[in-house]
Amino acid sequence: MNAKILTKENLLSFVQNLIKTGEVVGVTKKDGKFAFDHLKRASDLVLDYDVTLLPPKKYVMPQRETLIKFNVKPEVKVEAVVEATPFTLIGVHPYDLKAINQLDRLFEENHVDTNYMKRREQATIIAVTPTRASKWSFWSSMNSIFVETGFDLLLTDIGGRYAVEIGTAHGDELLKKHAKFEEAAPADIEKLESIRSALPKMCSADRKINALTHEMTAILEIHRKSELWEKRAEKCYSCGSCNLICPTCYCFDVKEEIDLNLKDGSRYRVWDGCLLEDFAKIGSGENFREKRADRFRHRFFRKWSYLAAKLTEPACVGCGRCSSVCLPDIADPVKVINELKEEK
Amino acid sequence: MTKPKVAFFDFASCEGDQLQIANLEEKLLELLEHVEVVSFREVMKEHSDDYDIAFIEGSCTREADEARLKKIRSNAKIVVAIGACATIAGINALKNTRPLDQVRKEVYGDNAKWYETYAARPIDAVITVDFKLHGCPIRGDEFLALCKALLTGQKFVVPDYPVCAECKLAENVCVFEKGMTCVGPVTRAGCGACCVTQGAVCWGCRGLVDDPNKNAHKEVLDKYGLKAEEVMNKFNLYFAYQGGPK
Ligand code: SF4
Ligand code: SF4
Ligand code: SF4
Ligand code: SF4
Ligand code: SF4
Repeated sequence: MNAKILTKENLLSFVQNLIKTGEVVGVTKKDGKFAFDHLKRASDLVLDYDVTLLPPKKYVMPQRETLIKFNVKPEVKVEAVVEATPFTLIGVHPYDLKAINQLDRLFEENHVDTNYMKRREQATIIAVTPTRASKWSFWSSMNSIFVETGFDLLLTDIGGRYAVEIGTAHGDELLKKHAKFEEAAPADIEKLESIRSALPKMCSADRKINALTHEMTAILEIHRKSELWEKRAEKCYSCGSCNLICPTCYCFDVKEEIDLNLKDGSRYRVWDGCLLEDFAKIGSGENFREKRADRFRHRFFRKWSYLAAKLTEPACVGCGRCSSVCLPDIADPVKVINELKEEK
Repeated sequence: MTKPKVAFFDFASCEGDQLQIANLEEKLLELLEHVEVVSFREVMKEHSDDYDIAFIEGSCTREADEARLKKIRSNAKIVVAIGACATIAGINALKNTRPLDQVRKEVYGDNAKWYETYAARPIDAVITVDFKLHGCPIRGDEFLALCKALLTGQKFVVPDYPVCAECKLAENVCVFEKGMTCVGPVTRAGCGACCVTQGAVCWGCRGLVDDPNKNAHKEVLDKYGLKAEEVMNKFNLYFAYQGGPK
């Protein structure tokens, strides 16, 4: 293993230098919790956090993104828009990074999504090893403890100092250009390794799915007709919260807006979610998933079955956000899959 | 193209919705390039009965209102109910939960017998309404969006999902995690969860979604320690006309 070492001070001035030279987004405090936000100064950055309210996905796939600008008068003119400028994302946890890696694949295959890919190319990602887990997280059960790709740099707190692993040549260059660092001593590497080996135990013991990821898919398939779906969905608000906070949900709706001059306008996309009642409604008014239970079940099958077939593993990284935001407490994958497994 | 003629009317209300429109200032001037306002008490004295689009604020709370509403309906091609009082009877409907005589005495005292009043109803309980602008008060930008849709012949879409969805997009911490409660899970979105964003809770001013899971929410409010009466009060503030959980 190879790593560089940054003291806390040197990390701060590294971040400050990045802020001086471009747009930097990092984890900050928000109302007693944490959120990715534009970083004004390095001292606002929090690396010792459990989970952010929304995943960093919001920077690679913005909530609202303009796709086309048009004029209807005096003549019809249409112009494709790509909103992409360089930015650095600091503080991404491995499970959220794994989710971004999955999005990269999904947006690239078949029809390449230009807007996504162009924006993604502009992102520098500095990941960080978690120091704590939210009480809902179950990333240990979802193979999301470690990521090998997707980051330019990976930071790990090894006790007041940070070990920096280099993921890309670009990351290496950034470090050399903007940071004062030293080579890791054998003792540092030992510390880093012991921290990594303790990670699988970080999620609390009761947040474990009692199956391997490919077994989860099989469990769902067997219990497609279980009463569990109907029973849980009776309490569902169809609020879509479990979609909108999810790092791997990538569905969007396309809308148009015209200016008040009734001449210029734009076409844009916004996040959508399959739990929302109108999600599967089509132009004619027909709704493919009219029942709450159908929508409720669809999210699980989408993530653990349909997308799992494309990605070779489930499109859930175990961040626990859906579990934490669902007020009726029905959306938690740990409970759902464990309960299904117990069913005959 | 001749400009469509627009008129504003108010019934039992605070005129806060018309104020939101008057407050659009420059945007309102821009809109006036495309429409002609023939009646708008908030900003002008003139009045005409020749109009295409009628914006109606307020609830129907007495018999005399019905005739006036029917006249507006017969004059206008398009009727839009604006604000919670007009769309869901709003807080006017709070009085529906109590004996009317008592309510009348409280408000008008000894003069109660001079004031005719009955249970508050939304506009569409009396006449057909083509569009609704929800909220207490309405949002200026949603008013403009409807105007643009009408002027260009586009579909006007009102969200039919709970405020929670927009609350998530706003990246708010849910008030249930902060020792408060709200009715966002059954309330129609479209406001961006602005009240929660500003540190308050959702009171439900945009009314219920089409298929609200009221019983699930009653259960959640129970679980978070609200007494049965408090749960009813939560639902009654804006949903008294639409109805609470069973
Ligand atoms: S499962 Fe929970 S979070 Fe998801 S839509 Fe239903 S109530 Fe909302
Ligand atoms: S399904 Fe839930 S736990 Fe899994 S990635 Fe999405 S929000 Fe996180
Ligand atoms: S189908 Fe539903 S669960 Fe799947 S990505 Fe889209 S919104 Fe998310
Ligand atoms: S604060 Fe209210 S509206 Fe927001 S998520 Fe919580 S329950 Fe829903
Ligand atoms: S948050 Fe609730 S009370 Fe506030 S504007 Fe929206 S619907 Fe009305």
